[in-house]
Order: sequence, then structure tokens, then C-alpha cells
Amino acid sequence: MVDTDPDRESGPSRRTVLQAGAVAATAGLAGCPALEDDEPDDDDERPMNVFSEYPDRDWEEFYRDIWDVDDTFMLTCTPNDTHNCYLEAQVTNGTITRLQPSMGYGEATDLQGNQASHRWDPRVCQKGLAMIERFYGDRRVHAPMVREGFLEWAEDGFPRDDDGSMPEEYAQRGEDGWEEVSFEEAYDLAAETMLEIADHYSGDEGQEMLLEQGYDERVVEETQGAGVRTMKVRGGMPLLGMIRLQGMYRVANQFALVDNYVRDVDEDDALGAVGLDNYSWHTDLPPGHPMVTGQQTVDFDLANVEYADNIVIMGMNWICTKMADSHWLTEARMKGAKVTGVFTDYNATATKCDELVTVRNGTDGALLLGVARQLLEEDMYDEEFVRSYTDLPLLVRMDEGRLLRASDLDEDYEPAELEKTVVTDDDDDEEVADDRLEDGELDVWENILSEDLRTEWGDFVVRDEDAEEFVPVTRDEIGDDFDVPASLEGTFEVETVEGDTVEVRTVFDLLAEYLESTWDADSVAEVTGASPDAVESLAEDIGTSHESTLLLTGMGPNHYNNQDLFGRASFLVTSLTKNVGRFAGNVGSYSGNYRGAYFNGRDQWSGEDPFDIELDPDEPATTNVRYDMQSAHWYSHGDRPLKFDDDGEYDPEDGEYYMGDSHMFTPTKFMWTSGSNSILGNAKGAYDIIQNMLRNGRIEAYFTNEWWWTKTCEYSDIVFPADSWAEHHLHDITASVTNPFVMTMPTTGLDERIYNTRNDAQIYAGVAEALAERTDDERFTDYWEFIDEDEYRARPYLQRVIDHSNPVAGYDIDDMLEEAEEGVPKLIMTGTYPKFMGSRQTQEDDPWYTKTGRMEFFREEEPFAEAGESLPVFREIVDGTPNEPHVLVDGGDHPLIDPETPEDRGWDPDQRDGDLRQVRNVVLSPDELGETSHPLTDRDEGFRYNYMTPKYRHGAHTFANALPNIAVWWGNYGDFDREDERRPYIGEAYLEMNPEDARAEGLEDGDYVWVDADPEDRPYRGWDEDDDDQYQVTRAMLRVRYQPALPPGIVKSWMNLNAASHETVAAHEAGLEDDEGDGEARNEETDYVSYYRYGSHQSATRTWFRRTLLTDTMARKEYAGQDIDVGFRDDVHCANGAPKEAFVRVEHAEDGGLLDEDDDERERLWRVAEMGLRPGYEDDAMEQYLDGEFIETGGD
Amino acid sequence: MPQVHNWQLNREVEFPYEESRPERQWAAMFDLNKCIECQTCTLACKTTWTHEEGQEHMFWNNVETKPYGAHPIGWDKRTLEDMGTMEWDGDTYEGDTIFETEDVDWDDPENHPTEERINEDVAGFMPDIEDDWRYPNLGEDETAGEEMDLDVHFDEDTHPIWFFYLPRICNHCTYAGCAGGCPVQAIYKRPEDGVVLIDREECQAQMVCNETCPYKKAQYNPAETISQKCVGCYPKTEDGRAPQCFETCLGKIRLHGYINTPEEADDSDPMAEPTNPLDFLVHQKEVALPLYPQFGLEPNVYYIPPTTAPVDYLEQLFGPGVEDAFETYRAIGDGEEPALEGLLNLMGSTEWSITAFEVDDGEAVGYYEGDEVGRVPITEPQTERDRVDEVDGEEVYRLDIT
Repeated sequence: MVDTDPDRESGPSRRTVLQAGAVAATAGLAGCPALEDDEPDDDDERPMNVFSEYPDRDWEEFYRDIWDVDDTFMLTCTPNDTHNCYLEAQVTNGTITRLQPSMGYGEATDLQGNQASHRWDPRVCQKGLAMIERFYGDRRVHAPMVREGFLEWAEDGFPRDDDGSMPEEYAQRGEDGWEEVSFEEAYDLAAETMLEIADHYSGDEGQEMLLEQGYDERVVEETQGAGVRTMKVRGGMPLLGMIRLQGMYRVANQFALVDNYVRDVDEDDALGAVGLDNYSWHTDLPPGHPMVTGQQTVDFDLANVEYADNIVIMGMNWICTKMADSHWLTEARMKGAKVTGVFTDYNATATKCDELVTVRNGTDGALLLGVARQLLEEDMYDEEFVRSYTDLPLLVRMDEGRLLRASDLDEDYEPAELEKTVVTDDDDDEEVADDRLEDGELDVWENILSEDLRTEWGDFVVRDEDAEEFVPVTRDEIGDDFDVPASLEGTFEVETVEGDTVEVRTVFDLLAEYLESTWDADSVAEVTGASPDAVESLAEDIGTSHESTLLLTGMGPNHYNNQDLFGRASFLVTSLTKNVGRFAGNVGSYSGNYRGAYFNGRDQWSGEDPFDIELDPDEPATTNVRYDMQSAHWYSHGDRPLKFDDDGEYDPEDGEYYMGDSHMFTPTKFMWTSGSNSILGNAKGAYDIIQNMLRNGRIEAYFTNEWWWTKTCEYSDIVFPADSWAEHHLHDITASVTNPFVMTMPTTGLDERIYNTRNDAQIYAGVAEALAERTDDERFTDYWEFIDEDEYRARPYLQRVIDHSNPVAGYDIDDMLEEAEEGVPKLIMTGTYPKFMGSRQTQEDDPWYTKTGRMEFFREEEPFAEAGESLPVFREIVDGTPNEPHVLVDGGDHPLIDPETPEDRGWDPDQRDGDLRQVRNVVLSPDELGETSHPLTDRDEGFRYNYMTPKYRHGAHTFANALPNIAVWWGNYGDFDREDERRPYIGEAYLEMNPEDARAEGLEDGDYVWVDADPEDRPYRGWDEDDDDQYQVTRAMLRVRYQPALPPGIVKSWMNLNAASHETVAAHEAGLEDDEGDGEARNEETDYVSYYRYGSHQSATRTWFRRTLLTDTMARKEYAGQDIDVGFRDDVHCANGAPKEAFVRVEHAEDGGLLDEDDDERERLWRVAEMGLRPGYEDDAMEQYLDGEFIETGGD
Repeated sequence: MPQVHNWQLNREVEFPYEESRPERQWAAMFDLNKCIECQTCTLACKTTWTHEEGQEHMFWNNVETKPYGAHPIGWDKRTLEDMGTMEWDGDTYEGDTIFETEDVDWDDPENHPTEERINEDVAGFMPDIEDDWRYPNLGEDETAGEEMDLDVHFDEDTHPIWFFYLPRICNHCTYAGCAGGCPVQAIYKRPEDGVVLIDREECQAQMVCNETCPYKKAQYNPAETISQKCVGCYPKTEDGRAPQCFETCLGKIRLHGYINTPEEADDSDPMAEPTNPLDFLVHQKEVALPLYPQFGLEPNVYYIPPTTAPVDYLEQLFGPGVEDAFETYRAIGDGEEPALEGLLNLMGSTEWSITAFEVDDGEAVGYYEGDEVGRVPITEPQTERDRVDEVDGEEVYRLDIT
């Protein structure tokens, strides 16, 4: 070979005509380049060998220059996905050009010298890396924006209709234009509006107006005559930013100053506004967990799979939604753990499983009951654990359907002195307990129970099997502290103090009867669709892996209406096998980043007394929580309570409430949210909120803080521009439920903000300043004293929270920030590393936060008995089933499954509409269930698909999903060129469907289809087919996709995709009509783009309630701290919705092919199907390829 | 006629250039059992190298779902269809490579890349520069195999219903098809590390590389009127750092290093001394296999095949070593492959390339050119904290339930 080429200068490239490039490009377009041959200069020249030499490589500097950057700084990526990542921003010419993982997680330490390993690195994902498109994208909220109609309403002096409501003409949200204003103008307008609404709805007159507007009496009463109680705020998933998001609850507390001003009440009587829930609003709460344990959620860091032998994943698409921790799963499997997946389709996580069990969605609970039955039958349960840690040995009075009390048997019985629980006579609310903690009267670890509840609950009774005696048992007697050989099985008789002979049975016995009579493997198969073998196989694996099975449950089962029963069943299976509260044996529910309680000192910030503000940065605050928490589900239910009259209809003036009083709510006249597209834009039943709460003026003001224009912004009145995550000028702190890290947020390394934005807390402070000016009350400004960009940057507030939060107490905010700047978090100091819940209760014998202190499978409260759910039974889901929805399943006439039926309540037994269905109780056997049908199918046979809308990998909720380089990866239809002009965006929403189902409907892969759910209330209550404008915007159209991974009867689309708004539909239609043919669904004014031409997945959803989640009597721990109480608690015992519930019809809308411009005819098929490469369209070669027939290895 | 030795095919193969191996060969291993198709690799590459106008469709790194996914559309199925059935006899490939399929005499000056355009003379197809590059995630999460139904239940090594993810970058082939085909000799292989580059100043947009790379990893940029491809992140690897798609891989499936031929492979024992990880995986353990070795280019990205997919399909992709690779991989779970287990834990836990590793005392340690660049425990340590801690003289309780 020659080493150099003397002709290099005029060398190889010169032998080709220079214009060849252009020619080639043209030829390439046609798919077959055919250039003229170019004769070499010198025929004799031997070619150099490009595999050993190349003459001039200076050009390689080009890529080295791209790699070089001027500067770097660390930022924090905190979408609501539970991961949280430090990302290193690489800066060139003042612009962030790319992001990198910090690789610093392996350096994380705690105060005790523990350290994580670098197996936690890297922490990063595609959505995080794509954020550079978000920092600089067109859709940033550039400046404060005010909706024109709203501005006009304010400028006109807030004129009102006769009933005192906002006139509809000012409420054309979604169609009005926008006006950019200065921050001062926006703050002033916000303050003026807040004072106006607070004043308007205060006092008797205010209440009168609300009644006239048609609000339910009890709902109006709940305002206590304070206008501020019609005003609601929400910081979206506040754990993601103590200052930015939890700060919104400080705003709620500050409303006490507003109330003090407008009603002129005493400081002590002034009320704060209403804070809306988070975890439970997202339907992420697993309500079965508090029903069994009293605790919000039991879970473990995902890394714990490292230690388990048996890993069972139910309805949790870990590989897609917990990407950062996927390697723990794949590594555990590599090292020999068995991984079983229970899913409805063959999904991404199924590819990482050893065993797959398929079930009809929403029936996972029945599968677990079948497993529990098998565990009992095959004697694969841990009798000792069950006896000493669960309520299964406790006796139930069969006459009253409640737990037998020691006082039932002994007139003189005095409840025992408790050693493990502090009983107080004054802990009516959390604050008192907090005060007592601060005064040193209590220790933070002590369970606290009021005297009243202690007395009411009393002590319980078991039967000593050896002595054949009935023995009292207290909530102290758990684990090793319980030494009674208590009977598990049996029916007994007791003499009560009233002199009656009463039959009593153990919870175990009652459960065993139910399981025995109903859940044999064939019945499980009948209900779930699963193979009977699957039940046995699961039971075998779990039953032989005591203390070594981790059961991970996710949004799949959690998002259905029977979620609580599923949760109870999952605890049943894990309790039977001693798989609770251990590194390698536990149950976990994974949806949301819910545990704001890691910062159990957060009231130092959001609950600071607005009338006694601490201005010394080194001193702790005085707390006084003035705001009230409510469930946002009522707002998405038209502010209607769960109430039915004798006809089974909602009537504001008549009827019975099917909800506990502690769950009552107030009218929604004002909303202010931060970082919260889930509250409106991607809310379940979003179009109902838009049409029936916003566009009719029912809600009078809707403010949103965002850094990226969401659909929520589309329908807001004021949109405040927030700093992006690259532009923090204030510090903040966050933690996670799935990893052991606590992360502080450094400030930005950019010299200037990209747009005219502010930190959320600066926006709260800005509005407060405007309030101070209007009310002449300086406390509004004092309340935000340490919110500045120079001196404090919120650090004093953060340090106060840290000092008062036991998993982080001892850390210093400045030290944390110093490490954060290097991309190194701290370890959160809970009981263990990696963390998990329940060891105190199941290993150290402390009581759970229940009545009995044990894990409870029997619920004695009235709402449970009424619903026939005293035991963890199975109920069909409320809408998304081909069977009769919401019926209870019992194959054996169980004595405790005796609910109030429609007949009992005087309702027409055939009335099966969605609303009434929520409280309708009918019991059927598994066989009978199989013979029923959905009421919609009875009306229209087209309704036959169970529609699920899970979350996927290319978005965290709607975060990042619409960035171009994310959008193009959304499944089959990502196309940067949008060759098909009907495509709403680079990516496009699609409905996945089993190919056989699709063929039966006459649908080809790639067709557009309409998806309709129950016309009674969807896409919104009161829709009218003739009202094209509104119906067209809200009715869902998607592209259909042949998806062989789905079983028949089930269709699916992803919940992360941006929905159509009025303006995206208008732009899409205008684009298709004009000659340009650009039908992009982009609101030109706001740059909001939709993945849908019309409607969205939320066109098919609505809010659903469940009576048993709305009790006043069930024991549960408070959100933070160790205080045990009863009734409503946001994010703990609370309405929880069912966002995947829909039973739908799928109808052909348009063919999938391109328009042939020559004959103006549309091709029937899109190109890839035509090429024979799609499932269901394979040509012979594709079949050969799928079967691996292009290779012959001999011998096989 | 140039005959070069291709150890992956265990025979001499025809190629337009004489055999010339670099001083060291850039190489990679991807464990498909861990790939989650998050596309973080894709975005890391995209945001670093191909975010300019004209590069919208250009993903030097992509991850596709097999078997229905392919970017560009149908790339491998269309190439295989053109090549016909390809036969192996034991370890020896008997069929034709892409440069052999058309019986071209590469000694004939008429056929040499610098003399003649050769697009008619290799197997494969020319991707349409617009239509074939659409829908990069076509087929995502779509299954092949048996029909899905609610009563599906299986507990078998090979899933009867299946798909898996295949991340793809330039293979920096020993016999790079793009360079072999380039009529203007604007593509070369760097002698110091084997990285294959298109000289952006000399490229004349003949686009032959778009066709003669059977992996379709050279791609035309209409804005710059040049073809471009993965540069192996040489600005990083020159400093010992792993490429962008490796550093950011949160599935932790990727290992970057340098590979030797079987004859020169490092045969030391990582339980005893630092050992070249690529040689260990590919030559000692034979657990990582090249992608479509039958194309004949000796690609340098090696894959541990996914144990849940059918062997027939995988052999079509990775050649005859699939079942042996499975056996070795599964032995990890039985505790029989501690060194392999250690390496697969170490992988992805460092931002450096790894030229040697060893496993010792429950830890896996990685080195780059003798410097320690990574150390991880094979089992993550557990800590149970004291319930009561003292901070500034005050008791603090470390509770799980707060």
C-alpha cells in the first residue's frame, strides 16, 4: 500500500464532478441514484487503502470543536416521575447546548457515613436530555399573559348576572385572545381579583348567591360564610419543590390575611383558602393501603429487588415508567431472581419477565383472591405471622357484623393502658400534637390517639385455642408481644353483657369461607380471563418465597374503581406469606411521588402563622395552618356531592349523601395552580371541566403558573411565566419515593433568564405585595421575606423545614447545595438504606395506624357493610368492563356480603347509569357475572371495548412529550415532515387495537377512528351533536394501530399526549382547508400543539367516586407525623377517581392512506402497511424474516 | 481479488480493500436483556451531534423494536430478502457476504470503488432519502409469535409472544461497507482506534455509502449535501471517555472498550488480574455476538442476545452462537459466572471506557489504561440505621413512616 497519495490535492474527490452532490440528491429522492460515470484522471493510479491511511485529517477538529463547551452548571430535572435527576448543563456562548448525567449519585452520603454506590449512575433520560428544546422552545410562557375576556371583565368592574355569577360572555376561555402585560400589572390584576371574589362570596349574601347559582346546600354551608373558602389553590405534586410548589399552600395559608381584611374577622377566626389534593387527585393513592395499615402507602425503593428471590409485578410498566431504576430489575433477574409479570398486554416490562400472566384489566384483585385461596388450601401461609400481625384471629360478631370487643363480654372491662401509643385528650387536630411535640411532651416516633377514639375503639377479642377461652387483645399486643395461641378457624358462641348468645367467627374463618366458596382457579379464570394454571403458579412462587417476595403494584390496577379492594387483596397475599416490611419481602404501590411527608416539617414553610411571622432567618417559624384541604375530584364532578334522591338522581335540594361529612367540599369560584397540567389540561373528564365549569363562568378566575404553555394555560385567565428548571434563582429541595436520595437545587449558571420569567415563589410574593398595597397590610410582604434572588434565595425557609423533618434533620442547606453543585445528592435518613416501609410494624412490633394496631382485612365501619365490602371482596370495575359494571362477586351467599341493594333503597333495579352505578350494589356469582353485559352494549352493540389509557416512556405525564425529538418517537406515526397533512403534529395519538378486532370493525392499520364512551356524560355532560363547534372539539379522533400485543376486546392509547383545544382544532381545520395543506394542530398565538386532531383520551373519562373511600370513621394516620385519626385526609383517605374507566365504541372516520393529488383520491392504506411490513399485512418475505428463515445454521 | 480474513465468519471474504487492521479497534457490547428502549442514547447523540437543519431525520444512534421495528423502514428485512437464505456450517459462514453476492471481481479496475460506482454490485438497497427515514420508532412494542389472548400464561425461557429492543449505532466495522463503497475515498478507518469517519470536507454526496452500509448508518444530509454518520464520539474516546450514548445509557446495557482478534485476545482471568472486557465477553465467554455477521463486514458492536426471544430469529441476527450465549448468560443466575456478573454490574457505572476489569472481594473494578475508573459492589450494601440519632445534642428519630 502507498503511504501517501501525491495526487491527493487533486485527489479522490476531484475525480468526481462537484455538482454530483446535487444530482445525487435528486436521484436519491427517486430512490435510485444513477449518475454518469466519472473517469479517473489517471487510470494507472493505485487507490490508497482508506483502511490504513488517510492524508489530511485536520477536518476532525470540527467535531472536537462541537464537543468543547465554555462552561457547565448543575440543574435539577424534576418532572412528576419519582426519579429527579441532577443534569449537567453544558453551555456555549451563554446557551445550554446539551445536558449530561451528573454521575454523582454514587458519591451520595448521609451523616452516619453510609454511601450509595455508582450502580445508581447514570440518572438521566431522554425527556431530560430533550429539555434543551423546552428551555428555548416557542411554547415557553414568555411573559405574563392575560385572557382578553378576563381583562375586560376586570376592567368593566367585575359585572355579574342576577345570581351573582360571572356572565358567560366574559368566560369564553379557550377562544379569547391573549394580552401580554407586565408583572406589576399581572400581580395587581390577580390581587384585585382575589379580593373581589373573596369579598363577593363572603357573608350571608355570598352564601345566598351560591345557593341561587344552584350549589348544594351542604356545599355552600361548608364555606362557613368565608369567600376565601370558594378559592382553591394547588401546587402540582409539592414534593417536587418545597419552595416552588408546596409554596402554593403557603399562599393558601396567607389567604387568612385576605379573610381578615374582607370579612374583618378577628385574626384568630380568619380562614385560609382551600388547598387541593395531589396524590389522590392523580388517582395514584392506593386506598387499600390505609384500609389495611392506616398508612398512606407502603412501598420500598425499587433497588430492593436486588435482594428478593421472587419479584411479582402487577400492572406496573416498570420498564416504561420507572426507567431510571429498570437496571435493578434486569440485574436482579440476571442474578437469578424470578420475575413474574401480571399485565393485560405483552408490554415492555413483559420482555424482562420469566413468567407472564395475562388478565382482563381491572380484575387483578380477583386473581389475588384466587392466589390467597390457594395459599390457604395448600397450607402455604405463615400461621405465626398471620396470628400476631394481622386481624385474622380477631373475632367478629355475626349479629352486628363488627369486631367483638372485650367490653362486649365483660361489663367491667377497662381498656388497657397502652404502652406503644400515646393516648391524649386533646389531639383533635394535628396542630395540637405538633405543639406537644415541640413542647417535648411527645416524641416524634410515638403513635398518638385521642382518648375518644381509644374509648370508642376499645380492645378486641381472640380465642385461645388451647385454653378454649376468649381473651382480650389490645393494639399493643403484636408480634412477640402477642403470645396467645389464638384460633384462626372456627365459629363460636359468646355471651354478651346484654345477656345474648351471639355467634362469633374469626376474620380468618370469614375470609376462608369467601375464598373457598368463590375463588377456585376456574372461577378466577371466568372473571379475570387468566389461565387457571396461572393462579396456581403464582401461589406456588409466593407461597414458597416467604420473606423473599416483593410484590410491586402499579398504576394499572390502581387506576380502576376497585383499586382499594385490589390493595387489600395484595396485602392479604403478602401478609399470608410474611412478605411485609422486609428488604426482600414487601408490598409496594408505585404511582406518583406522593410522600411529601418525608418533609414532615413542611408546616414550617407552608403553615407559618401569617399573623405571627418570624423574620429572624435563624429562628424557627410559628406554625398555624389556616387553610383547609379538599379533594379536587369534586371540582371535576361539577362541584356536585355524591347524593341521590329517591329516584336515584342527583338533586341539590333533596336526597341522601353517600359520602362522609368530613369529605364535604366548597364551591370552586377561583383556582390558582402551579406546574399542574393534570388539574385541567390532562384531567380525567377534562372537557367536562372546560365546558361545565369554565366556559360557562361557573369558575370566575383561573390562574396558572407554568414555564411551558400547556392545555391548562389554554383555558386559564392569567398565565404567570415561571422560570424553567435551568433558571432557578431560588433554591429548593425534593425527594423521591422510589430512590433514597434527597436533592437540593442549586441556582442557575446562566447569566440571564431566557424569557421574562420568575420563580413561582417570586410570583406568590409579587401577588402578595400587590395585596399589601391594596389592603395596606405589610404582613403580606413580610410573609415572603426570604424570597429574593440575592441574599437568602429561600434558604432560611428550607433550613427550617430540614430541621423539623426527621429523615433530613441534621443536614445543613449550604453543605447540601455545595454538593448539589457537583451533582451529588444526600441520602435520605429513614430507617434503612435502601429504604422500605413497615419494618417497625412487622419486625419491631410497633402497631400500625389502625384500630387494632394490626394489618386489618376486616372493615367494620358502616359504609363498608352497606357496600358489602367488609372483607376484601372483588367488585367489577365501574365502567370499563364487558360485564355488568360494579357488581360484587360472591359465589356462596356469604353472611357478611349483604349490601344495600337498589331494591333496599327503592331505586329501579334497571337503572344502571354511570352516576348511580357508583353506589349501586348487586351481588352475583362468577358464573352469573359472565352472563351479564354492559348496559351500553345493550343499547348499541358497537360499544364493546374496554379502553385503557396508561402512561408511557416518552412522557412524564405531559412533560416533554411534545418536544420535537421526543414526539417523533411516539410509536408508529412520528414524522418530522408531517407528510400526511392531517397529522396534527410530528407525533400523533393512536388507538392500539387487536388486529382481529380491527378487521371485524372494517378498520385498516393507520385509519382514523372516532372513539366514544358513554354518551350520557362524555365527552361532557350536556353535549349536543348539533353543536358542531363544541362537540367536534371534544370528541376523540385517533389513528388506529394494529397491535398484536393486545388481547381482543381491549383498546389502548397513552395518557401522556396533549389534547385538542378549541384553538388547535380551529388551526387544524383552517390549515386543511387552505391550499397550503398544513393541518398542524397548533394554536398560532400560544404555540400550544395537540397530538389529536379532535378531543383526546380524556374525552372518554370522567370522575368516579367510591363510598368506602369517603368515610368519617375509618382509622388512618395523618398525612405527616404519627397521629391516628378518622375521616377525610387529603392524599390518605380521600376520593381517588378511576381515570382508566371507559367502555367505548370505535368507528371508522377516514382512511389511512395519502391523498393522491392526481385523482384527488385517498389511498386505502398507509405506505408501511402497503409495503407488507406491518402486523397483519406481512408479505411472504416478511413472514420468512419473522420466522428467522433467512438463515440456515444446519442441524435445526 | 482482495481476500481478507473475517474471524466472525471463520473464513476469507472478498472485500474491495486489502486487510489492514487498526492499532486498536473501538468496540462495544450491548446487553439486550437490559435495554429498555428509552431512547436516552438517541437523544444524547442527537443533542450532541445532529441537531442542525438537514439532520432532522438523522439518528446516528437509534433503538428499534424487533421484529416489526426498523429504521430506516425495513432496512434489514429488505437486505436479507436481497441476499436470500444464508448458510452457516458450524462456525463457518458458507453463504455470500454483501460484497460477494453479485460475484463481483474486485480486482478488476472496473469494479473498484474509485473507478466505478458499485451500487449495483452489492446486496441491499438504497433507502429513499425522505420516505424511508420517516417513523423512526415504527413497530415500537409490537409483538410477533402467537396470538395474544386473556388466558395467555407462560413460564418458558423463550416467550411464545415476543419482541425485544435493538439499539443500533455505527459498528465501526473492520471491513466498513461505507468506506468500501465510497467512490471518492472520503471515508476512512482511523489507524489509531478503528473509528470509521466520513470526511465532511471531501464527501461529494454520491451517497453510495448510504447503500453499501447494510446497517444503513450512513445518511444523507440535504442541508449540507454530504452524508454523515456516527463518529464514535472520538472527541470523547480520545480522552478515555465513553461515547455519549454509552455514558447516558440508563438501562446500563453498554460497555465501551477495544477488542482484539481471537488470535491476539487477552486470555487472562479477571478473577485474578485485570482483563480486557471485550475480549473476555466476545472471545473467552462468547456471550456477546456481532449483528448480522453474514453481511461480512466484521462489525465491532457485540450484543448479548435477549433470552426471551426465539433462537431462530436471533440466529438470523447474530449468527450461530446464540444458544451458547444463552447458556453462559443463564449460568450467572446460578452463581457460576462471577466474573461475568461483576462486569455486567460494572458496566454503565462509569463514564469512562474500560480497557481492563477485575472482580475481587465482592467488587468489580474497571480500568482505563491502568487507571481505576470504576468500582462497584456486586450486591448493593444494606444499612439499618439506629432509630435514634443525635443531632446537635437533640434526639432525631429515623423513621420509615414519617
